[in-house]
Amino acid sequence: MTTTAPAPGRERVTDRDRSPAKRVPERADHSRERVRGIERVWLLVFLAPFLLLYLGFTIWPLIATIYYSFFDWSGVGPIDHFVGGGNYGTILADPLFWLSVVNTLVFALLTTVIKLPISLLAAILLTRKWLRGKRFFRTMFFAPLIIPVAMAGLVFTYLLNPSNGALNAILRDLGLVDQGFDVFANRWSALVVLVLVSIWQIFGQYMIYWIAALQNVPEEVYEAAAIDGAGEWKKLTRITLPMIRPVAVIITLLGLVNAMHVFGLVVTLTAGGPGTSTYVVSYFIYQNAFGSVPFAYGYASAAALLFSVIAFVLVSAQGLAVRRAQRLRKEYGV
Amino acid sequence: MAATTRAGRRSHAVRANLIALPILLVVGLVWVYPFLWTISAAFKTQAGMFTSGASLLPDQLNFDNFVRAWVNAGFSGYFFNTVLYSAASTLVELVKAALCGYVLARYEFPGRTLLYRMIVGTLFIPVASIIVPQFVLIENLGLLNTRAGVILAMSGGAGALYVLLFVGFFSSVPTDLFEAAKLDGAGFLKTFRLILPLAKPVIAVVVIFQFISSWNEFNIPLVFTLGQPELQNLAVGMLSFQGEHATDWTGFAAGMTISFLPMLMIFLFFQSYFTRGLAGATKG
Repeated sequence: MTTTAPAPGRERVTDRDRSPAKRVPERADHSRERVRGIERVWLLVFLAPFLLLYLGFTIWPLIATIYYSFFDWSGVGPIDHFVGGGNYGTILADPLFWLSVVNTLVFALLTTVIKLPISLLAAILLTRKWLRGKRFFRTMFFAPLIIPVAMAGLVFTYLLNPSNGALNAILRDLGLVDQGFDVFANRWSALVVLVLVSIWQIFGQYMIYWIAALQNVPEEVYEAAAIDGAGEWKKLTRITLPMIRPVAVIITLLGLVNAMHVFGLVVTLTAGGPGTSTYVVSYFIYQNAFGSVPFAYGYASAAALLFSVIAFVLVSAQGLAVRRAQRLRKEYGV
Repeated sequence: MAATTRAGRRSHAVRANLIALPILLVVGLVWVYPFLWTISAAFKTQAGMFTSGASLLPDQLNFDNFVRAWVNAGFSGYFFNTVLYSAASTLVELVKAALCGYVLARYEFPGRTLLYRMIVGTLFIPVASIIVPQFVLIENLGLLNTRAGVILAMSGGAGALYVLLFVGFFSSVPTDLFEAAKLDGAGFLKTFRLILPLAKPVIAVVVIFQFISSWNEFNIPLVFTLGQPELQNLAVGMLSFQGEHATDWTGFAAGMTISFLPMLMIFLFFQSYFTRGLAGATKG
């Protein structure tokens, strides 16, 4: 496992007898060097730290997850109780797993469709030249990112608690409710709270992504458009949005995938409750793997794998749809 | 003529500010309300906290809660662990990503394309789905319930994105620079040392991203320090604190205030670096 760093080849590795098209495509304007003599050792030394950790903590766990998922294993003793597809059969019939999947997808979808547009809006506003106090406002919106998600969850459990939390105090003062109501008592309101708190927490990160994307649009393009008499709205819809679209696709993917990992917030805000109605997949895995004895590593691994496949299919379907839409738009010139 | 349009533009800007600033201020205040509430609660008495509702004015002003959280509830330990985990895992991430990205961008070697494709392919693997084998690995290395184990797990899984950032950056460095270095007789290591300072924007982004994400990391420390409170970071320690002292919300608020103030300082300090670095790193 530790010796898989690619051994430097001897004389075979000449770039000349490869056609240029066969070379690695991500940047074509210069060729990569081959290494000779002592430099091969340096190459290995440079690759070793990443490769070791990558193989140990990404590649091997991936393979092991697949392997474990075919066994009934509690983490103690040898892995010898082969159950074939048994774990998968049980999971497919486990209503709690499907509830977790649905909750995770609802959560990921809702947070993504809400946080991306509003963070883009904030980023556009906070990059206007005329605006005063940009740094101050950026810091304000970025601030929630610096408290651990789990802590944010605890603060909000207090702020939202029905007897003396701030939300109910305000609602009572406004006369909207006469007795405290508990947002965590109901599956859908608990999910909505999870979504909103998560957006509040992560908002700054996406705002910064968008700001970076906006700053990469060359100033000259706007100047040229202004000379042609384009107004602010036209500049936004005809220049800014089309130019940040490639980055937007990446930001959307990141947003979706990150939202599918939601864990700390669920632990501290709802702990999967009321009952088990706000379970998400990572919490389901955690509960099965480490939550109670006997640990069900095999079962948890099967669940993890199954969800990774579902997530992968959904994310790549989204990626494909975006690419298709872009191609269509290009064909029709819109 | 030119003067009047400039004046016109200025009054336009003033009007836009008059509309935008109040809205931003109100939204911003709602946004940071939980922070203000936490800071104010850190000064309140228990009774004051339970009766104050949404009010931000503390009923007293002393530092009892801070002392209790820092000393008795062990926040000093959590704080130390968090700083250690964040700094160490950031360092590991930075070193491995910079070295690997440099080699991937500059040199041709067998398996290069395969490695690059694998890194891209594993970019979106969720931690939760591979945490069981990671746990088994750390256990077999004899590092379970040690600080080294947590650091290893935190810096082992992530990092594919950082490698790609470095590959992108080093590929965009003009070849002439490398030729010039070679003409001056610089070897492999010397060339790297000459080029590395150019990558400051990417380094800044990696450091800030990784530092924030390990500062907030919850899943890994939770799983790898089960039953070892003295190894926990702030995020996990906070939860066990709440489990043990369920009613000490003012102590909790004080502990939180202690834990987010340093990060706020760091962000204020590095803010412009951050967005500029991100803009530079994603270019092209």
